[in-house]
Amino acid sequence: MNKVLEKVLTKDFDVEHLYKIGVYMKKGGYKTLTKVLKKLKPEDVLKEVKAAHLRGRGGAGFPAGVKWGFVPKDVDKPKYLCVNADEGEPGTFKDRYIMSHNPHMLLEGIVITCFCVGIHTAFIYIRGEYENIAQRLELAISEAEDKGFIGKNILKTGFDLNVFVHRGAGAYICGEETALLESLEGKRGNPRLKPPFPAAIGLFQSPTVINNVETLSNIPHIMEKGAEWFVKQGLAEDGGTRIFGVSGKVKKPGIYELPVGTSLKELIYTHAGGMKSGKKLKAVIPGGMSSPILKPDEIDIPMDCESLAKADSMLGSGAVIVLDEDVSIIDVLRKITQFYSHESCGQCTPCRIGNSWINKIVTRIYKGKGKKDDLDNIEKLASNMLGRTLCPLGDAAAMPILAVVKKFRKELKAEIKG
Amino acid sequence: MVEIFINDRPIKVEEGTTVLKAAEKAGIHIPHICYHEAFPPEGSCRMCLVEIEGHLCLELACATQVQEGMKIYTETKDVIEARKGVLEFLMAEHPMDCPICDKAGQCTLQDYYEEYGLFESSFQEEKERKDKKVNIGKGLILDRERCILCTRCVRFLRDITKTNELGVFNRGVHSEIGVFDGQVIDNNYAGNLVELCPVGAITDKDFRFKTRNWFLEKGASICPLCARGCQIFIEYHPGFARFEVPKRVYRISSRVTSRDENAKEKGYWICDIGRYGYSYIDKDRTEFMAHKERDLSGDKEEAVKYINEKIKKLIYRNKLQWMGVILNTWLTNEELFLTKKVFTDDLKLKKVFFPEQAQGEKDDLLLTEDRTPNKKGTEEIGFQFDQLEEKELFEDTELLIVFWTSPFDLGTITELTPELKKIKTKILFTPFKRKWNDDFDLVIPTAVSAEKTGSYTNIDGKVQHFGPVLSPPGEAQAEWKWLISLGKELDIDFKSYVKMRSSLDVFKSMKDEIKFFRT
Repeated sequence: MNKVLEKVLTKDFDVEHLYKIGVYMKKGGYKTLTKVLKKLKPEDVLKEVKAAHLRGRGGAGFPAGVKWGFVPKDVDKPKYLCVNADEGEPGTFKDRYIMSHNPHMLLEGIVITCFCVGIHTAFIYIRGEYENIAQRLELAISEAEDKGFIGKNILKTGFDLNVFVHRGAGAYICGEETALLESLEGKRGNPRLKPPFPAAIGLFQSPTVINNVETLSNIPHIMEKGAEWFVKQGLAEDGGTRIFGVSGKVKKPGIYELPVGTSLKELIYTHAGGMKSGKKLKAVIPGGMSSPILKPDEIDIPMDCESLAKADSMLGSGAVIVLDEDVSIIDVLRKITQFYSHESCGQCTPCRIGNSWINKIVTRIYKGKGKKDDLDNIEKLASNMLGRTLCPLGDAAAMPILAVVKKFRKELKAEIKG
Repeated sequence: MVEIFINDRPIKVEEGTTVLKAAEKAGIHIPHICYHEAFPPEGSCRMCLVEIEGHLCLELACATQVQEGMKIYTETKDVIEARKGVLEFLMAEHPMDCPICDKAGQCTLQDYYEEYGLFESSFQEEKERKDKKVNIGKGLILDRERCILCTRCVRFLRDITKTNELGVFNRGVHSEIGVFDGQVIDNNYAGNLVELCPVGAITDKDFRFKTRNWFLEKGASICPLCARGCQIFIEYHPGFARFEVPKRVYRISSRVTSRDENAKEKGYWICDIGRYGYSYIDKDRTEFMAHKERDLSGDKEEAVKYINEKIKKLIYRNKLQWMGVILNTWLTNEELFLTKKVFTDDLKLKKVFFPEQAQGEKDDLLLTEDRTPNKKGTEEIGFQFDQLEEKELFEDTELLIVFWTSPFDLGTITELTPELKKIKTKILFTPFKRKWNDDFDLVIPTAVSAEKTGSYTNIDGKVQHFGPVLSPPGEAQAEWKWLISLGKELDIDFKSYVKMRSSLDVFKSMKDEIKFFRT
């Protein structure tokens, strides 16, 4: 990668009081919105976003432009935008940085998106723990309303948009888009059957676009500098930069905005400063806890959706968790199974009971009471979950479990012997 | 219509049909637990997964709609393994207390384990402990350990009764069904939850621990407790060898299935009044003919002869206007037709009276205001209500024949007991022992609808036939049998009655005479 590193999303993060609308506007904020609303048609925006190959930053990596294109044009129902700010994937903390440092960039992205799709109501579904950020967002919304960027007749163009902040109540599953919709409707956060997809029947039975915070924050930049520029930031089929959140046993944990396709090795050793206290690298979880674990010999890999999928893992939310030699793998497995067992919504059988069952086995092994066939059993149970659950949570649990058991079988077996 | 292939067999089904329904149509059962035809697919049990050519993973049969040329496989290695997987998951946290579970014998989980499971469980952990007996209202007891969270109960109360008393609480393996704070289930359809529950998680106090499912037999009947005429099964104990017990009926359950053309119209439910109001069948029944003076010695002909004598006496004295008859809308179409024939056509009586009968509040689903089964039929046969004042009925009456078929209160007539007592000869046809039976000279035991062949015309004008599930006790027999005997004995129109050997024969005559019954 010999690209000039250009920060896009995090460029102004060190500007003081960037979250205030005055500061944001001084830095050129809302200029793109004015340009889009006054000079462009919704179709132009859609064309540009499609050309930018902006892939969803939430985890699934679905192209945003294509998603917007699925929304039917002629319906007599209202359409909605739901901003997924329920950043719950363990290891992920990028959206909170965006929202706390530069909420207006997100709002600008929201308004442009809504203009493009023809939406007049947007909800930001933010995880309950981000109380301070929810307050900051609400403040930002009221500032933007005062300046006429949100509300009725935006910039006197006749376009109306209301934006609301809705706080979740602490369920990982509510980050799954249909569970998010249920929760937003005031119901228990259970995922819905798909099809119908939210683009056709979503929030309150109406067409709904659901995008991640980081995805939407890219929109103003795409519209400002163009799709061509955006693609150049990353890869041809996976444009732009991504904010990688590096945590674990590295010297400099934190967020790093780098081009899509930056090597994982480079991210850990160059940007995050390498391993802490000179310890040896044991494993890397490359995209949030639900992405299958990588061993040290697998980390020379470009960080983009396709490449990681080829390595049987996934880019997910770009949350890199680095584990060193001191970490016991049964600890890792136990953390994973505990989490999914705790966070399974309980709606469908394999996820509800599978996760709890595996967690019970792993906990038993952890307590030194492992049995000979435990690992085979874990693999069998996880395979029974894989691809057979109602929503992606089952897969999100089964994949990392299977990977850990497969790649660290020897070490796990040693646990059982003892 | 689209053509699809299930296990390589071509099947034509309507567009928009789900894979599960298409397979059912072809006679292929795809196991499912959470899915119920009355509700939109839920897709949570994952039992109905099938393989569809070209699809990456197994698909839900309950929710996937067929498409032209779709190739579906229901018995591949993957599918069988997935089913076993789901069953193993379900069984892992299931308490397996089948020996003390009321559902044992008709439990979906048991059936599917026998058919698709048969594995050695690899579950070696401790099961979750949950509440075993939660009172959720209306005599329903919830066992949270047995619950497999199909949420049929929650969806029933949400979609059908719209009362929303139940919800799912907590998360993951700790998920449990429960009532919302300060609420209990309190609606007239709660009993359906027991039937809807695929396992023994919801049981009712009425049936709890009383008997085992496999001891019961069941017969089809029509619920007589309101004018809706819901199709029911009467579930009864066939009896113990050489050991007579008074309780025969243990349970009433709904009979409407998807194959029934009325399923949509009626829903799949019966109300609690119909479900739990069956005790009259085995309680306080008249078993033997009772005459105040004569000893009938169980001779039914003798009883009919006695009635004939009394009527003939009036005829000879040309005083038939001194005879009155009380009928009710609990009688079957056939019986009402016969009473019309005997009393109105043959004897030309004017004093035929229908007392006002039990009424109640109707609800939005099934229960009607009229709590008798055959008012509509009575009208169609040609009887008119309210033509006669009660006072007129008792005035100058020397012979009164009363048919009292309802297990309920005797309505307005009881108030007239002193006047009733003044009547010289009083004859009562009834299946029930009631206080006023003592005031009659002759009490003739009859059958309840569960013991009869006949038909009722429901509130929507639908004629529904039913046969006997139980046999009447002692000397009791259905009213239509008594009426045919009486008709013959009277010898006014002997030929017509001789033709009638069964309730169906009566119905045939009725069809000939009354246009309504022809359709």
